[in-house]
Amino acid sequence: MEVSEVKKLWLTALRDLERFANNKYWLAAQIAMNLADIFIFALVFRGFIKRDIVPDYLQYMTPGAVALASFVAAFSIGREVGMEVRRELVDYLLVLPMKRTTLVFGRILSGMLRGLVYQVPFIVIAMILLSPPTIGKTPILIATSIILTTTMSSLAIAVSTISRDFNIQATFRALTHYLLFFFSNVFYTRKALELRFPQPLPDIINIMPISIAADIYRWCFNYYQSIDIWQKLLALAIWGAILTLIATTIYLRNLTKR
Amino acid sequence: MIYMSSLLKDLRYILLLVQWDLMKIVRRVIFVAMRSTWFVIQVVFFGPVIAQMVNARGIGLDVSSYYNFYLLGIYTSILFTITASRAYDIAEEFEEGIIEYQLSLPMNRKILALGRAIGSGIASTLFTLPMFLTVIILAKEFDLLTIAISIVSALIFSIAISGFVLTTTLSIKSSDATDIIMGVLDAILIRLSTIFYPAVILKNIAPYYYAAIINPLSYLADLLRIFYSFEEFGEIVIVNPEAMASYILGLFIGFTVLAMYVIEKKIEGGGWR
Repeated sequence: MEVSEVKKLWLTALRDLERFANNKYWLAAQIAMNLADIFIFALVFRGFIKRDIVPDYLQYMTPGAVALASFVAAFSIGREVGMEVRRELVDYLLVLPMKRTTLVFGRILSGMLRGLVYQVPFIVIAMILLSPPTIGKTPILIATSIILTTTMSSLAIAVSTISRDFNIQATFRALTHYLLFFFSNVFYTRKALELRFPQPLPDIINIMPISIAADIYRWCFNYYQSIDIWQKLLALAIWGAILTLIATTIYLRNLTKR
Repeated sequence: MIYMSSLLKDLRYILLLVQWDLMKIVRRVIFVAMRSTWFVIQVVFFGPVIAQMVNARGIGLDVSSYYNFYLLGIYTSILFTITASRAYDIAEEFEEGIIEYQLSLPMNRKILALGRAIGSGIASTLFTLPMFLTVIILAKEFDLLTIAISIVSALIFSIAISGFVLTTTLSIKSSDATDIIMGVLDAILIRLSTIFYPAVILKNIAPYYYAAIINPLSYLADLLRIFYSFEEFGEIVIVNPEAMASYILGLFIGFTVLAMYVIEKKIEGGGWR
């Protein structure tokens, strides 16, 4: 019986999703870090941050932590793909009876699913600490998570296949992680950035994908009463499309590169 | 004469173990690059922005004072992270059978424990020395005596943490458990200390304050701050300087003795999971 490419893609993604549990020790440390960011770092800083800059730092940072959570988990697929490239397991993957594009999109899909699974408890925390999204905002929250996790999954895969050397892979992954983590508005507002750094740095940070996603989450959890939601969502979708396209091209090329 | 010869032999063993640890850390080029990048982002970007956001005046500081407060905290955090990361080296050595090899060497196991703790401490302190120098340049601190006392304090702290890491890793004998314990400890201890915020701010949340009071990181961070400027930070540190110095010394003695006890009495080869 002929198995459709869509089913093969789905099977590839599910296989990777099942293997997500193999990373339980790494995951435990990541969860501890994300929870500590919310319940220790943000909670303590709430009593220390100037109210005119951030009225409630815990409420400001929690949606940002939701965005961070999604990309941390989506990045786990990059570690595995990097290992496959190093140990030449890609040769085995290439002989599987499926198109290469199916394999590539299956891996990206699995990273996305991992990100979504990991994000669920943090969304619940955000709903408790802020307020639940309205019915109208829920589809936007879901769409944001899907776009963000897909983008991060693609990025992690691309970065991890740039080289066969573990050290280079780890360095690129860490640099991408730092870039996305620190150069975002998760921890600081645009106003604080403008007080310290000249333009265009605050503007650039504000249009980074994690910043855009964090702003959308803040709106979904009712921290912001109004933002230009469609413009933000479009910007995130453009980021997602560009990065996924680039990442797919890089992964396809590196699958067969010797 | 016999005692003298035995002492010299022990010192030679310790020296060899220190060399071993130094050699190990020098090989970790990529780890050095990643940690250095993290540190640079912290001092150039994250720290200055956070300093703009906090209400430093509320605790008698200004923006630049808080930035200096933050710099010394970040140095403490990176010293702790790098020392704690020695756990991964030890786990790797266990997997490769090097620990069994070292246990079988004709040397007193107490000396083995002491040498590894001192070696790890020196290696971690040397590794973070460029970061410490960056901090003192940014904080505009050029008093040689202060710098020397700070480095010695950092070294004693690092040896203490190495003793703890040795004890923990060799007792649990599991790479996975080491991974999770060190990851969680790193995440929790750094945030539940005075690395980012002074003790007076932590007092708003009693459990966090009490956790910070027993957290070794708070003591080194605040001790370095006191060495840097007693006038600026004297009122906001966790306890008085004598108590902080005593705590770090106690930590050093306690964890080193514990590592010596565990390696001498409890550890045998094999059983690694």
